[in-house]
Amino acid sequence: MIRWRCWGLATMLCASMAFADEKGFTLREVEVKARPFLDAATVGKVPGKAAVTVTERQGGWARIRVGATDGWVRLLTVRLGNPDPAKNDTALLATLGVGKQRSASGATATTGVRGFSEEDLTAAKPDPGQLARMDGFAVARATAAGFAAAGKLSAQSIPYVTSDGRIEKGGK
Amino acid sequence: MIRHPNRRRIVAWVLAATASIGLLAACNPKQIDAFVKSSGGVDGLTANLKGAFGSVDQPKEIEMGRGVAETLLGARPLHDDPALQRYVNEVGAWVASQSERADLPWRFGVNDSDHVNAFAAPGGIIIVTRGMLRLLENEAELAGVLGHEVGHVVRKHHLNAMKKGAWTNLLGAGASAATAGKGGGALVDALVGPTKELYSRGLDKDDEYEADRVGVVLATRAGYDPYGLAGALQTLGKIKADDPYLALLTKTHPNPGQRLDRLGEAMGENLTRFEAQPRNEARFAAAVKALRTAKPD
Repeated sequence: MIRWRCWGLATMLCASMAFADEKGFTLREVEVKARPFLDAATVGKVPGKAAVTVTERQGGWARIRVGATDGWVRLLTVRLGNPDPAKNDTALLATLGVGKQRSASGATATTGVRGFSEEDLTAAKPDPGQLARMDGFAVARATAAGFAAAGKLSAQSIPYVTSDGRIEKGGK
Repeated sequence: MIRHPNRRRIVAWVLAATASIGLLAACNPKQIDAFVKSSGGVDGLTANLKGAFGSVDQPKEIEMGRGVAETLLGARPLHDDPALQRYVNEVGAWVASQSERADLPWRFGVNDSDHVNAFAAPGGIIIVTRGMLRLLENEAELAGVLGHEVGHVVRKHHLNAMKKGAWTNLLGAGASAATAGKGGGALVDALVGPTKELYSRGLDKDDEYEADRVGVVLATRAGYDPYGLAGALQTLGKIKADDPYLALLTKTHPNPGQRLDRLGEAMGENLTRFEAQPRNEARFAAAVKALRTAKPD
């Protein structure tokens, strides 16, 4: 089937797109750092609501380029996309590499998309068999702890935070 | 006409409830009597009311959650990749173990939907779509997304929403089946309607913001980079607002920009010192490799 042959190409496109430059904008005036650390040297300033290109993301930091300035800003001081979300033009199909693909012959084929739309939910009938299957994949706490250790994850004691950034009472 | 010592109180309850959902005009004493009768008489209705408004203990919450999950899994079955199911359970169980409800029988599943979404059912059942997994970039993002869903369970958002909506259920088609202690089948049947209604409508926005805050803290407690959820929301924020793959997520959640604004205020610099914690990109990439390279079916 043509649509399956296109899938390999779509997958390659998807892989190469993962690190592609992304359109973004600043929320406020930001200091641009040479490296993704608070105490790194400041290499420039960018005003708020400026269109930028986000070239890389690393945890709490985003690398931006605007004019001659190239450096790191806190992730939450920039947004990907357009200041008006209604004007975003990135389709998820393109991001995920699924959906309509043009085949070598030029014909457009639509891959089989399985949804979870409101209609799918409305039409649903309870499926105890699937729940039993899910039970079979359950992981015990001790197993999860071993998985965490293998991934160099160390548990931390951190309280919950309130909407205005304070420590939540009764937190751990 | 049924006469019962509690009748006046029951009538008051029903009137209050119907007023709140705009059905007062449709309610007269005859219908109340018919409703009481269909609910197993006054004793049955009283049990119902206690079940709906009294505290739901943990075993009952788990039973309800399993009923909800059967319907969610009926909408889309599990994605057929046992290794991926196992991996998501490992990440999820570890994140959930950092919460004050670590003792729940936590279950995590990837369904075979290409749409981007994730769902939590009371009692600790979490379902994430394979479309969501395709969108995420590392294990810290997955931990953040699962942490958000664990947050809904820990704060009992869906359970409380269902309790609030219990009157609608009692007055509707589920009235006769929604009696406590009738066995699992009756409970699942009674939950089908409310499940569809709640998961189509979504929770209150404040519940979503709270789940974001709880999720971020749980993922950070679990040893991950605190910015995983923020990274996933950044990716979501660049997608077209009317993208059909996001339709249900968009309908049921504040937009990603609003969530990032709120999350930024809540996080402040509280978690900055943990930002060097792992994201485990390689382990995540290996786990979702088959998903990314497989043809859709």
